[in-house]
Amino acid sequence: MSFIPGLGIVRGMSLTLRRFFQPKVTNLYPEVPAEISPKFRGRLQLLYDEHGALKCETCFQCAQACPIECIDMGGVDTKGRYAVHWGASETYGERREESALRRAGRTVPDEAYQHWSPIDTGPVDAILHDADHDPKRMLEILEATQAAYGYLPVAALKRISFGTGAWYAMVYGTATYYDHLRFQPLAAAGAATGRERSSADYLSGLDRLSR
Amino acid sequence: MTTARSPFDIPAHASSDDPRVTLDEQLGVFEPIPPYPPRTEREAEFYTLRDGEMFLNMGPQHPSTHGVLRVVLKIDGEKVVDIDPVLGYLHRGVEKLCENADYHQAICYMDPLEYISSLFCEWSPVIAFEKLHEVQVPRRAEYIRVLSGELNRIASHALFMGWFALDLGGLTPILWSFIERDEIVEMLAALTGQRMLFNYFRIGGVNGDLNHEFMSRLGTWMSKATNQINSNQALLNENEIFVRRARGLGVMDTQTALRMCLTGPNLRATGVPFDIRRAHPYSVYPELDFDIPTRTEGDCLARYLLRMDEVKQSLRIIDQCLHEMPDGPVMAKLPRLIRPRPGRAYAAIEGPRGQYSSYVISDGTDQPYRMRIHDPSFIHLQSVGLLMPGNLIADTMAIMASLDPIMGGVDK
Amino acid sequence: MTVVGRTWDRLTIPGKVLAVVIPLGAILTIGLAIVIALVGGAVVQFLADNLPLVRFVVAVTVVLLMTIPSAFLIIFMEMKVIALMNLRYGPDRVGPFGSALSVVHGLKVLMKEDFTPTGADVPVFTLAPVVVYMASVMALLVLPFAPGLFGQDFNISLLFFFAMGGLTVVGLLMAGWSSFNKYSLLGGLRSAAQVVSYEIPLILSVVGVILLAGTMSLNQIVLGQAGNLFDWYIWRQPLAFVIFFIAVTAEANRTPFDLTEADSEIVAGFATEYSGMRFGFFFFAEYVNVFIASGLTVALFLGGWNAPFNWPFPVTVALDPGGLGVGLLLLIALGPPLAVLILGLPFYLLNSRLPFWQALVIGFVLFNLLAVAAILGLAFLSFDWVVGLLWFMGKTYIFVFTFVWMRGTLPRVRIDQLMGFAWKWLLPASLVNLFVTALAILVLAK
Repeated sequence: MSFIPGLGIVRGMSLTLRRFFQPKVTNLYPEVPAEISPKFRGRLQLLYDEHGALKCETCFQCAQACPIECIDMGGVDTKGRYAVHWGASETYGERREESALRRAGRTVPDEAYQHWSPIDTGPVDAILHDADHDPKRMLEILEATQAAYGYLPVAALKRISFGTGAWYAMVYGTATYYDHLRFQPLAAAGAATGRERSSADYLSGLDRLSR
Repeated sequence: MTTARSPFDIPAHASSDDPRVTLDEQLGVFEPIPPYPPRTEREAEFYTLRDGEMFLNMGPQHPSTHGVLRVVLKIDGEKVVDIDPVLGYLHRGVEKLCENADYHQAICYMDPLEYISSLFCEWSPVIAFEKLHEVQVPRRAEYIRVLSGELNRIASHALFMGWFALDLGGLTPILWSFIERDEIVEMLAALTGQRMLFNYFRIGGVNGDLNHEFMSRLGTWMSKATNQINSNQALLNENEIFVRRARGLGVMDTQTALRMCLTGPNLRATGVPFDIRRAHPYSVYPELDFDIPTRTEGDCLARYLLRMDEVKQSLRIIDQCLHEMPDGPVMAKLPRLIRPRPGRAYAAIEGPRGQYSSYVISDGTDQPYRMRIHDPSFIHLQSVGLLMPGNLIADTMAIMASLDPIMGGVDK
Repeated sequence: MTVVGRTWDRLTIPGKVLAVVIPLGAILTIGLAIVIALVGGAVVQFLADNLPLVRFVVAVTVVLLMTIPSAFLIIFMEMKVIALMNLRYGPDRVGPFGSALSVVHGLKVLMKEDFTPTGADVPVFTLAPVVVYMASVMALLVLPFAPGLFGQDFNISLLFFFAMGGLTVVGLLMAGWSSFNKYSLLGGLRSAAQVVSYEIPLILSVVGVILLAGTMSLNQIVLGQAGNLFDWYIWRQPLAFVIFFIAVTAEANRTPFDLTEADSEIVAGFATEYSGMRFGFFFFAEYVNVFIASGLTVALFLGGWNAPFNWPFPVTVALDPGGLGVGLLLLIALGPPLAVLILGLPFYLLNSRLPFWQALVIGFVLFNLLAVAAILGLAFLSFDWVVGLLWFMGKTYIFVFTFVWMRGTLPRVRIDQLMGFAWKWLLPASLVNLFVTALAILVLAK
């Protein structure tokens, strides 16, 4: 408060005007990530050692100490004898990590497994060209592909997805909907005799009905 | 009951299953009247309207009730005739939870009590547990506690300045004070590992020594802190509008303040130099040199200015701590699971809002038998009933902000 | 499936829109040309006969359309300036420096649910935003922007202006009463009390200016301040200027007098129960009011569109395109392509990695920029309303900045302080100002 009325207001205004031109303190978050101190202990993840394995030893101390019981984990004891478990079933990605799975005594997926192997895409391309690359004629394309290869190879489905612009998930969904489309060669699928009525039978029945 | 009635014609204590209340009125009218018949004379008197009065329900979702406080105002025009604060929207039963946790676990329930000054919430139960277990805390740990505690006090008072100004309508101070608080909180995050719920004090010391990042951040901040705080205050301290609104508002005289059990800055603003750091010294405060600022006006402006003076004293204390910090361990040798002998312990400390204290009873197991937390916010909030009536609606929130309650501590 | 159907199916959504819009536009254009050819003469004759009516309708439309971009601009200014004063960056994502954020807010408000609370007085509740907004727009109608550029000029335009300002209160009161909410009610009553109190010093402070100018027409008042900086009324009426500025801040419900929507006291005041575009109208009206308050201050005290000094080097342009004859046609046909080529060629020659068509695009953009600059420069030199508009807008936006600046700095006053200030200080001061002005005019006239 000063003796001249309004002087305090004017000084406050000049202060805000000076701040107007000062450098700003906001963190531009997505571009500049926040500085997190090395001691920060709020991160919601398990830590890895220098070999890339999880550091967690499954000693249950943290789960025991957690006052609100938000930690749950599973594992085997040091001799590998008893599968023990603490809390609800595993939900987070780190717990499905290989070392965690191994320690928990669970099956580990085989890295050698491959989803699909390359094939000659010439017949598929010809089929796609005949079908005008039209995703609305998907069933026709898939049936022709199966006729050409004997089954629906994953590579062919990928090619169809690429050629028609339909998402792979849609192509795959269409293919799995119809029972007469198969993803394995007949020999590999075993003797598929005495099959149940497939959706193709329903479709032909519908055709007959509509006529 | 076919004619449409004004919302103000609804009889007092009309519950929702009262046949006199139509469905339309149930849908359209919300009068903040409890659905049960009045339990006390005071309640019956408060929920009876005289001519020209009406109820105004402020909170729990009002933009400026500092959390989830609900205040039912009985107003006559703009003037507040009477108030009825309704608490309990944030009640978690922390005291009961502590009885089912062991002594180490109980400390981490303390942080969310007064989330603006978490370190002080940990401090008093930690001292109580140490008294119970008869632990000697290393001197370096005590100095670190004082240092981090005073930093937290500055952060809390900085935020108070912003909130008080926001409740008086200023937009800018809250952001400037958040800048101040953010710097301190980042610093404490480097020390404790968390920004808000530090969980740093342990029975017998602190969790981790001072580290390089904390010291460098502290040094950078200390070099500009005084300037920055003074400059932030200049916006309000000299502003005629602010001073005219805060001066003479919510005046509390010394006798009333003592009768209402006020402590901390709210008591010191009425002229009583009572500070637990001096009155019942704990930690290393007897070795430190600092003043206890007091003011005699007892109004909102005095409470505000007193807190700003305390910030300067806190800066002094931090300076001394840094100079006199001894070497040594920061944690006493203690077993992982402590089982104190049966007994009771009480510890009080001076927080930014007043006296935090805890009272613990041990029955010889590893869990406290009973734990009681005395929280200054709750004690201070009861005096709004004295201060608010007679003022205007605009001042209700300013008065409450000047008492600086934190609803996390009020509802526990 | 036919060829047309398949082609249609494969078009993207913008393609489908364009495929409909372009032929439709062509058909409509041709139809309009035919209609104009058939009845155009009669319509033009009718409009020429009723020129004042046409002028009024056009002025209202233009002013109505003008409020939208100016409100967007002021909203953006408010967000950005207060953010910078708070040491934040403020909006910086949408558009250059975040300037499109207010437009996005406008679109968001349009898309929100339009909610009417149970128990509200529906017709009044619906009409209130319209009243508030229309009052602001009507007040803008008499504001002189530049020589010859004003909606209407009548001899009581200042009175009309204050009448429209008073009409805003009716809208706010309607909103506060009909919302069926106690916070709204308090906000409406506060706005009524506040505006009624501040209208008196506002008008009394202007009476001095009216005495000096001898007219109530805003246009004439601005013309009376022609000359240089020292002919403005602010030098002859400094006290009136201060009173007027304070009172007009209260009229526009701006900080520190924004009690009607004090968010820390009565949640959002009269606008508590409003959502969607109805709230948008209130929001727009508030910022249009800021513009109006600034514009009126400029027009009354700071010379309106008059420049503060005379431009020392008079420049005149005398272009006679008709004199070129066939050359003009050649210039129009050949000039732009040649200019594009000449402007783009250096980029092509100096940068070997640039394809030729990209160089042409650069040349085209440059040519357009130059052409726009040349046309604007020509307009600036040839029409004095362009200069006047620039000066008026410049001064006005300085005041808008001041309003925003005050909002970023000051806390809010209390209602009793607000009323006491109006009745105990502003009213006597404006009366003193009025008597002193009248006395001075009398003495100087003798």
